[in-house]
Amino acid sequence: MSEGNEPGAPAPGAGGSPAGGRPEFERKDGRGPRRGRGVGIVVAIVAIVAALAGGATWAILANASRSAGGPAPQPGGTAAPTGAAATTLTVGLSLEPTNLDIIGQSGVALEQILLDNVYQGLVSVDDDGTIVPSLADSWRVSDDGTSYTFQLHPEVQFHDGAPLSSADVVATYEMVKGDKAAVANPVFADVESITAPDDRTVVITLSHPDADFLWNLAGRAGVVLEKGAKNDRATTANGTGPFLLEAWNQGSSISLSRNEHYWGEAAKVSEVVFRYFGADSNAAANALADGDLDVLAPLDATLAPRFQGDPRFVTGTTGSTDVFTLAYNNAKAPFTDLRVREALSRAIDQNAFIAVLNGGGQQLGGPITEGEPGYENLNSINHYDPDSARQLLQEAGVSGLQLTLTIPNIYESFHIGDVLTTQLAAVGVKLTVNSVDFTTWLQDVYTNKDFDLSVVDHAEAHDFGNYANPGYYWSYDNAQVQSLYAQAMAATDPAKTDELLQQAARIVANDAPAKWLFNYTPLVARKASVSGFPSYGVNSRLNLGQVAVASE
Amino acid sequence: MTRFIVIRAAMLVAGLLVASILIFFTLRILPGDVALVIGGTQASPERIAAIRAQLGLDQPIVAQYLDWVGGLLRLDLGTSVVTGSSVSAQIAQKLAVTGPLALLSLLFGLVIALPLGFLSAVRRSRASGVAIAFGAQAAAAVPVVWAGLLLILLLSTALGLFPSQGFPLNGWADPWGALRSLILPALTIGIVEGAVLLRFVRSAVLSAQGQLHVTAAAARGLTRRQALLRHGLPNAGLSVVSVLGLQLAALIVGAVVVEQLFNLPGLGPMLVTDVGQRDLPKVQSVVFTITAIILVVGFLVDLVHRIVDPRLRAGTA
Repeated sequence: MSEGNEPGAPAPGAGGSPAGGRPEFERKDGRGPRRGRGVGIVVAIVAIVAALAGGATWAILANASRSAGGPAPQPGGTAAPTGAAATTLTVGLSLEPTNLDIIGQSGVALEQILLDNVYQGLVSVDDDGTIVPSLADSWRVSDDGTSYTFQLHPEVQFHDGAPLSSADVVATYEMVKGDKAAVANPVFADVESITAPDDRTVVITLSHPDADFLWNLAGRAGVVLEKGAKNDRATTANGTGPFLLEAWNQGSSISLSRNEHYWGEAAKVSEVVFRYFGADSNAAANALADGDLDVLAPLDATLAPRFQGDPRFVTGTTGSTDVFTLAYNNAKAPFTDLRVREALSRAIDQNAFIAVLNGGGQQLGGPITEGEPGYENLNSINHYDPDSARQLLQEAGVSGLQLTLTIPNIYESFHIGDVLTTQLAAVGVKLTVNSVDFTTWLQDVYTNKDFDLSVVDHAEAHDFGNYANPGYYWSYDNAQVQSLYAQAMAATDPAKTDELLQQAARIVANDAPAKWLFNYTPLVARKASVSGFPSYGVNSRLNLGQVAVASE
Repeated sequence: MTRFIVIRAAMLVAGLLVASILIFFTLRILPGDVALVIGGTQASPERIAAIRAQLGLDQPIVAQYLDWVGGLLRLDLGTSVVTGSSVSAQIAQKLAVTGPLALLSLLFGLVIALPLGFLSAVRRSRASGVAIAFGAQAAAAVPVVWAGLLLILLLSTALGLFPSQGFPLNGWADPWGALRSLILPALTIGIVEGAVLLRFVRSAVLSAQGQLHVTAAAARGLTRRQALLRHGLPNAGLSVVSVLGLQLAALIVGAVVVEQLFNLPGLGPMLVTDVGQRDLPKVQSVVFTITAIILVVGFLVDLVHRIVDPRLRAGTA
């Protein structure tokens, strides 16, 4: 018998005849041990299967009881007492928030779904970038730009039913100001006092003017929580917005339900479900095509043609402040030489990226995007010109340059490494692409500044200050830019701020501390029956208060 | 017997202890930490330091380890530093997918391995038996991912029988939909695992065939096959059960890989995400839980084996 080829069965049953040489063919003698063995096998199988099944059943039960407390998948369960239609809006998104703590957790993924919908600040911002009233009906800024007086809207209440008063505003802002780990803590660095002269009035005093202060308050920094609330912000929310946080199925979806006691105009849909697809843009597009989604943001540009001719869907690009930035390590040779930086910037053809994006991006010649203060078209500066790039490298005396690009692997669908490798090779620069996970990027590039070239998406709006901060990871240090930025922030006249920022941005563009690969303008696809969906900054803020789904 | 149990239990405890040390300190080799992830690209070094202090990451590493193990001893798996929710609740949520997937895979594996393994042993000198043995050898060598891709191409893309990826949004509230989305992934693991098991079944049956009591039963008038089924299988079964215990680890690892491929919201994708975000307190508790399940099942199988098999009992009595 060729047992040699078989895996050795470890059990003794497989090995030769029993040691005792017991006459097992005598039925009576053999029965005892045989039956015992049979029972034992059954026991063993039952033990293993029970261990597995027990775990699984327990999990299912745990899950079932959880979802029983959550929202019913059909919207009927939350029918509005006002008689408003029960409709569900299902929105496909890519990046899921890691937790829902609006105070402590950074990132746009949670701002995207929670701001305006669940949490509100004193002011908000509309699709045109204009500051608009929210919890505050009106506000006044003193002539010297250091004192802000807000009048709160009457009859606002939190989701738990408690009324909003100026004490809540003071308590929340004092908490953020005192908590170094809070995301918005730096916004309050120049705040001298936050007071409540009466129930409806809040006065914030700054030590010096801050042109971005109101704009910051329109974002996460302005969110107002209930004073003394004890809920766990990572998994629950007690805001004032038109939607309540209903359920979170981690790794898959988050649902909101309409706030039936909302102080403003009630939401037009009774439930919102955000479904997360991560990097799997194919699955997202399939879900849209199958009718499982009402809106998909963003739609992968390469998959767009499938929807563009279809009358059931509407697709379009949306403006954003996202800048895919190829940063040079300005503190490290050879990037300390302006000619090398210029050469690299001129070696890169932005149109190649925009072609990959199928129109989901636009050219950008400087650090500020079209919707932000200080924007001006700087596309001609260090524009694509490979001949001049080669010449500049020659003048700088560098030849056979070998560089490493450190890029987080979350941007794989943009093919940035491939395009850059080809384009830089054309001017004699050999590029090695080092694709890392985002946390490694944060450690090596952002914290330790150990890199040659880096690409990340700088999604934050009004983030020009990074070029005025010599400690930022790209180590760009220009005293003139820093001074202009400080003056721009201290100006009380928005036009003056705009003008100073333009001057600073032009200097930055000429200094080429980075190449702005493109301004990402993601495609959004929606069913034709959906109206009122935001058209700007959809990956950082989705105000769904007035979105409607027409019955089909 | 008691002595055996005590020694075996001590080995289990030592195994768990070594596992906890390996898991904890290996994970600390990864570059970057969760404070950076929470801080993001706009955080100042001061804010990162504040977050680190808040999470206790500024404590000495041994203190962090003892803190974690102390929690484990109280059966407290801790809290995810990223999501802020309890690790055991999140494991339970994900086990609702991974548990049934592993069970179903085991079922498919057994359905493939038992009859085919038996057949290939009985017909070992015939073409069909050789073909089965050869096929098993080949299938056992196939990476799970590749098997999955082939099955997707055949049963989903070409024939449209099962969904190629995903899990119903409302989970087991839609039992048929949930089951349907688990069948392809379970088949993927089941085929590969079944092929491995098949070879064990075959070898166990082959050796049972040569045993005296089977020959004797045949001599008493039973056909060879009847004799083997009635008198050879219990022996063979015992060895297959102990192999099953060992294969449990492979089954869980297979599930983790296959969940990624089929985009199932189970333990696998959760672990990948958590490692990416350096949510180490959660990763270490999840990995430890899986390790503990495997070690405890191994312990139970050994114990049962000992109790059941008279020869082993005699040896230590």
